[in-house]
Amino acid sequence: MIRKKWLALLLAGCMAAGVLAGCGNSQGVGKDTAASSDTSDQGGQSGEKAEKESASTGEKVKLTALISKHSLTKDVNEMEWLNILEEENGVDIEWQQITADWDQKKSVMFAGGDIPDILFKATATTDFATYNGLFENLAPYIEAGDMPNVAGMFEDHPELRTLCTDENGAIYGLPNYRSLWPRTNRVLYINKTWVDALGLQMPSTMDELHEVLLAFRDKDPNGNGDTTDEIPLDFNGFPSFLLGCFGVPLMNESDGYYVEDGTVKNFRVDENYKEFMIWLQELYGEGLINEEVITQDYSKFQSLARGEGTTAKVGVTLGWESGDRFGTEVADQYVPLPALKPHADSDENEVYWGYYYDNNSVNAATVALSANCKNMEAAVSFIDDFYAEEIGIQVLFGGMNEVDNCIQDNGDGTYTVLPPADSSIDPGTWKWTNSFADYSPYYIADDMKDKLTMGEDMARVLAEREPLDPTLDLMEEKCDTYPAKFINYTTDENADLAMNQSNINNIVDQTYAAWLTDSTRNIEEEWDAYVKSVYDIGLAQNLEIRQTAYERYLEATK
Amino acid sequence: MGRKIFSALKRDWQLWVMILPALAYIIIFCYGPMYGIQLAFRRYDFSKGLTGGDWVGLKYFMQYFQSPMFGTTLRNTFVISFFSLICGFPVPILLALVINSLRQQKLRRVVQTAVYMPYFISTVVMVAILQILLSPSTGVVSGLLKSSHLIPQSVNLLGTPGAFVPVYVLSGIWQSAGWNSIIFIAALSSVDGQLYDAARVDGANRFKQVIHVELPALVPTIVILLIMNMGRVLSVGFEKVFLMQNDMNISVSEVISTYVFNIGVQSGQFSFGSAVGLFNTIVNFVFLMIANMVSRKTADISLM
Repeated sequence: MIRKKWLALLLAGCMAAGVLAGCGNSQGVGKDTAASSDTSDQGGQSGEKAEKESASTGEKVKLTALISKHSLTKDVNEMEWLNILEEENGVDIEWQQITADWDQKKSVMFAGGDIPDILFKATATTDFATYNGLFENLAPYIEAGDMPNVAGMFEDHPELRTLCTDENGAIYGLPNYRSLWPRTNRVLYINKTWVDALGLQMPSTMDELHEVLLAFRDKDPNGNGDTTDEIPLDFNGFPSFLLGCFGVPLMNESDGYYVEDGTVKNFRVDENYKEFMIWLQELYGEGLINEEVITQDYSKFQSLARGEGTTAKVGVTLGWESGDRFGTEVADQYVPLPALKPHADSDENEVYWGYYYDNNSVNAATVALSANCKNMEAAVSFIDDFYAEEIGIQVLFGGMNEVDNCIQDNGDGTYTVLPPADSSIDPGTWKWTNSFADYSPYYIADDMKDKLTMGEDMARVLAEREPLDPTLDLMEEKCDTYPAKFINYTTDENADLAMNQSNINNIVDQTYAAWLTDSTRNIEEEWDAYVKSVYDIGLAQNLEIRQTAYERYLEATK
Repeated sequence: MGRKIFSALKRDWQLWVMILPALAYIIIFCYGPMYGIQLAFRRYDFSKGLTGGDWVGLKYFMQYFQSPMFGTTLRNTFVISFFSLICGFPVPILLALVINSLRQQKLRRVVQTAVYMPYFISTVVMVAILQILLSPSTGVVSGLLKSSHLIPQSVNLLGTPGAFVPVYVLSGIWQSAGWNSIIFIAALSSVDGQLYDAARVDGANRFKQVIHVELPALVPTIVILLIMNMGRVLSVGFEKVFLMQNDMNISVSEVISTYVFNIGVQSGQFSFGSAVGLFNTIVNFVFLMIANMVSRKTADISLM
């Protein structure tokens, strides 16, 4: 018995020792990394003074950086433009690259307090308040002239400064800006082959579109002998872009809120929304809208429009770009439509479209700097370089050099985005492979529009929006923008807005779905009660909060 | 008292050591995180951490009770779980009785495996299968039901509010009845063969044997499982409801757990979300205790 006890004790001892050894090991590892960061610190101090000159002497400043990148993006160490940029700045960066689940890894890393010197595409504005003290305030560097490119961006676009400045005047994360992107995310496409096959006219009003859809339904426009396989009209979610045609100025609309005559409004309780829903309900009742429009998932929505072989299935639909929306087989059958006025006698100056330039051109908190970085000067100057004109386009589209071959310098101050070197890859994928791409720190100024020739895909995106340009120009000229992206709220306001919005959405979403799909519902009769219930459940309060914040913003940017 | 506990510990220390990992697991992963419950009573503030917000008492509970969504979410949750329980509970018992009376071993094994296979399909795949089968234009099942005039031509099984609960409950039964029957089959296999012989001698046919021999043998298992299911009367599986939700059926498919997700996680109202979640847990706990008490009083079978 005693022997057994000894054995047990011995075994227990062994286990405990194992555990301790395990701890010891991990501590050892910790020390190792600490030691290596120490050496980089020393390198940092020596380089601090002779920051840029150090490049010539060959003495490099060591920094660490993290990037949360797209899964398509290749190893950033293989990006020649980045190596050149590091070289020019006399820095040597040890990259930590994250492609998946960054959100979960982030909180662990940030809460631990041990972060790399520079974080690319890895922060959200809320992180800066949550992890107070972890990040360096960049405002003083901008004031002191250490970040001339960023300062220049703020000069051109003061609203970007408002976007990233917190209530104490500090700037922890820098936004980006690009001028090249389109002003709207959706274009209404119509199958021109079908229109021609049936000998119809291109619609110029919603009423005419209605007639065309009826013909699409009945006359077998794809010519395969089956009159039931055509879906005249399909969309995904709520087609707010078409609502614009019915007279709601959706200028940077957000959650249904927009500004008209200085007042924040919500289109869900607008008279025009009622007219629009009556029209939509009629279309659905006549079998002109895909009966699964509410219940289908996105992949089905996408695959349906790509047709079967060269047989198209969808007549009219909304999309970002025809190649993406319709695939390679049937894309050439579709052409973009302009913003259609509802009826022949409608006022053309009251016809709008969804205008979302703010969302497409600006991202907040694209890059941040650790407060513990030992070589602020080098890091700040490296970050600032991302906002230089020639670097910005490379950050977005890929390198302008012999190795990367993504952009060509035409030598006269203009540039051309080159087609993919590997012709089997589409331009979008090519971009995401070779550059930091979207959501990265860059500043692509408004005049770059005239200097840069974009790739085939983006050129098509812009070309397909040309029919909408007059409408979007009109909106820029006469409508108030709702700067939702730049408005900050207090914690209490945020709580109220979120709570109310959830309740509002519950009513408006189910009412929308019910009105659309159930022809027996009388929208005209139900309207007043519906509007009252939406106001009562929280819209009244949300409009008030948003109005106050909007006026506060206008005051601040005056 | 202290001596007694100590001597009990000393006497059975091997047993206590064996139970230690389980205890440690429960303490670390079940009791440990419970300090987070205070989030429901505090105004959560990122910069002050989980326990640093101002104490607001029952504010968030009152906010939920007064919210227009309170009645809707409570009713939807209750309706879904009530029908899941009422319709879903007897099926595994019947299935177990049927499988148990299959005499041919090979057939029995095939049937048993076939009925519990669906249990291993993940919820996401399961809902995707439903969407394919029930699609109003291309779905096989909805097509069959329509051509046999069991449902009207115009109905969309994925969207119509009236179809949500039946689809949810029936697909749930299809998926889990086989798995749930395993425990009943095990209970049946322990029935003493002599009881059948005695019943046959008394002139009982197969049906009578089921009523008088097999069912009584199952009663303790049935009651225990029923009590445990009562404890889940207000907890509807989040994933399946969330995945089946769309704008058309939201009026019947917004349940407490999806509401907590919408408000608490998506809109960042962590305190309110915690309060709603805690309320849900308390209701479940009360139901569990009531069921346990009733069963102890009437049948003398209980969990504790």
